[in-house]
Amino acid sequence: MNFIQLFQMLDTNQSTNAKRSALVEFIETAHPLESALAIEALTGRRERRQLKPSLLKQAAYQAFADESWLFDECYAAVGDLSETLAILLADQEAVSQTEDPVLAQWQACQRELSKKEPDALTSELLGLLSVMSRDEAFLFLKLSSGGFRVGVSKGLVHDAIARAIDMDRAVIEERMMGAFIPDEDWLNRLKEPVTQNELDARPLPFLLANPLSESDVLELDPTGVAVEYKWDGIRAQLIKTHETIRLWSRGDQDITEQFPDIIEAATTLPSQLILDGEILAGSPEQLQTFNELQTRLNRKRITQNLLKTNPAFFKAYDLLRFDGEDMRTRPLTVRKDTLSQLNVIQSQVIYPASHQDIQTMRLTARAEGAEGVMIKDRQSTYVGGRKTGHWWKWKLDPMTADCVLIYAQAGHGRRASLHSDYTLACWNQNNELVPVAKAYSGLTDAELKTIDQWIRKHTLQKFGPVRQVEAVQVFEIGFEGIARSTRHKSGIALRFPRILRWRQDVGPQDADHLSHFETLMSDSNAV
Amino acid sequence: MVSKKSRHRDPLIIRTPEGLYCPKARAHIDPWRPVDCALITHAHADHARAGSKHYHCALGGEGLLTKRLGQHIIEPHPYGESFSLGDVQISFHPAGHVLGSAQIRLDDGESVWVITGDYKRDLDPTCQPFEPVSCDVLITEATFALPIYRWPSMDQVMDQLFGWWDHHVRNRRTPVLLCYSLGKAQRIMAEIKQRSDRSVQVHGAVANLNIEYEKQDVELCPWQRASESDKGVSTDLIIAPPQVAGSSFLKRFHPTELAMASGWMQVRGVRRRSAIQQGFVVSDHADWNSLIKTVKQSEATKVYATHGETRVLTRYLNEHLGIASERLETAFGIEDGVDQ
Ligand SMILES: [Zn+2]
Repeated sequence: MNFIQLFQMLDTNQSTNAKRSALVEFIETAHPLESALAIEALTGRRERRQLKPSLLKQAAYQAFADESWLFDECYAAVGDLSETLAILLADQEAVSQTEDPVLAQWQACQRELSKKEPDALTSELLGLLSVMSRDEAFLFLKLSSGGFRVGVSKGLVHDAIARAIDMDRAVIEERMMGAFIPDEDWLNRLKEPVTQNELDARPLPFLLANPLSESDVLELDPTGVAVEYKWDGIRAQLIKTHETIRLWSRGDQDITEQFPDIIEAATTLPSQLILDGEILAGSPEQLQTFNELQTRLNRKRITQNLLKTNPAFFKAYDLLRFDGEDMRTRPLTVRKDTLSQLNVIQSQVIYPASHQDIQTMRLTARAEGAEGVMIKDRQSTYVGGRKTGHWWKWKLDPMTADCVLIYAQAGHGRRASLHSDYTLACWNQNNELVPVAKAYSGLTDAELKTIDQWIRKHTLQKFGPVRQVEAVQVFEIGFEGIARSTRHKSGIALRFPRILRWRQDVGPQDADHLSHFETLMSDSNAV
Repeated sequence: MVSKKSRHRDPLIIRTPEGLYCPKARAHIDPWRPVDCALITHAHADHARAGSKHYHCALGGEGLLTKRLGQHIIEPHPYGESFSLGDVQISFHPAGHVLGSAQIRLDDGESVWVITGDYKRDLDPTCQPFEPVSCDVLITEATFALPIYRWPSMDQVMDQLFGWWDHHVRNRRTPVLLCYSLGKAQRIMAEIKQRSDRSVQVHGAVANLNIEYEKQDVELCPWQRASESDKGVSTDLIIAPPQVAGSSFLKRFHPTELAMASGWMQVRGVRRRSAIQQGFVVSDHADWNSLIKTVKQSEATKVYATHGETRVLTRYLNEHLGIASERLETAFGIEDGVDQ
């Protein structure tokens, strides 16, 4: 397999499993230099731009001569410069070869090209593209102009490497952390025997909380539990060995590089330590929303500027290893006491005397920027997984849901020309989408326009002014209440539904099920 | 001397709230509201609507039209044979879009107008190939009027399709091809038939139309209506309209792998946004080069563009080919992407 085939497989598979097995197969079968260069590109290590976008455009204008506006129209329709050039200028009938290595050769090409004067460069580039297949041209240009993205995370690549050579995932993360030398020997270097430090740097299985409703809480013995706020951040373990500091998320991602500020703050901590806690945006005094954290996760490079605009910190709430000792078999109260002696930001904990104390804590949660409370058995040990009887979460009623757009209709007044009235649906038990709400507002004009165009192109049927559209777009809606309703197929009616945001980050299969509303109803009715 | 007034002839075809209309023939072309006399280019829903008193279509298209419209008075005409309405000679000519699709030629003795309807220039085993018709005024579709739309050969597409099909069958997943049920589905089945003895299962909407195609002696690959009782992974390709994505129809074949056959699949971002894993570029519309070729072959001195990228096509014709060209805005919603 070569890089082109790997790309085709990654690009046409949505499931993480399929992407992972494509990567594994590639690492196992590709020429080691091809795989080394591919790993370098896939993990965002090759951002050096050999060809500026302006040069690509110049080449296109040269090809289109006096019809340059026509190229601009094409570019606007495609939205990606490399893809536009690949469609227009590559050999349409050429079939990509999917066996022999290509990357080393492409790299040499890029180097040669970048040495040339602009005019010679564009002519040469056009000649090169005209004998490439479309995928070859697309990938060549993407890699050369520094905009290569294929929808696989660094973590997934590392996971695939670990599987391909049968090594521990965390060890691979550790070894991929520093400089990466893309040569034929890269796999052999990764296969070297594991050191003690690498073993110590692995995260431990996370203890997960079970959801509770109010009536459940009333059945708990308040004097047997500890209560703290439930934070809306990224659950993570901060691991300090003799040599390194690592931050691992619950999603099995090493996110150390994303949070240099947290790593910096942890340098004063004793080594041989593992903390369990939450990464939060902003500062302890001034929390920011989860979206701000998302920005940090999504960036490939964390700049000084980003650290200023999107600061983050780690709030610890448990201690899993201390001075090399495994603390997980100790009761929660002992772990909390030891933690409280460390100089780290930590979650405030109360030991309630009554149910009222728990209620009070929960009622102040929203004002604190928390999303509810965590209730933990005082005597509980720390075990991996969603164990019952250890930790519970009692969330505030969020009253939101992710729904799929299924019908659209033109709006009124200023928005009469746009399809801005949406019928939104959730999944029922039979995996059918049933309407749960009609919503009219909450999106920006720019979003409305974009969605309107999408709707016109993806209409399945028209019933008078109403268009049935492909079930693709997901919106998060907020609402004030839920009532049962026999008039609606969904069996529920939402009060004052409104659109909170357009969820371009998820697909229709990620939308909520009707059971979500049942849970919300039982939460709020229990009071 | 010819006076200014008499030189300015009334156009043979005008735009009305019901759609394009030829006053001299008292006939509408693909009207979207009920009228007395409708000339229909083809049976797709955005061109053929029910409720008119009298329909004319090309011979071979009347069966599909009846399926779509129900019982109406439908008068089929052999390709190339003209008939008169008022003082206008009218004839249907192959458009190569779907079975029975036609361009409509109208001639009042002073000028000749041709309305292409939807058309393509690539060969399609399910319908007669497009025939260029010369005229004074051409009304052409412009759905894919951008140079990025260049259709690959069917050989290349079918190789890809078979490779994808086999790959997923090997991995015990059911391959599902989403495509428009009238035309695209049958075209793909006919292409399969020409290359292999593979068989497919089809959604009910496709099955009903298959029967009509087979009545007209179009050779399709072996097919079977997907039945409720068949559970589990299928090694047959499943062909279904795009509406089934996310519906319970697909559940019986789980796990499934979705692909879409459409001209829009030419652009990677479009495919990725529609949550489809694999796209095959197969269109029943003309691509950029075919549009330009068709305009040139028509020898028309005036070209109107409807549907899709009309702005780009008219600008190109005006500025680069020196052919007077205008956009023909349709009254509402006719640009729907339903049959692309
Ligand atoms: Zn059509």
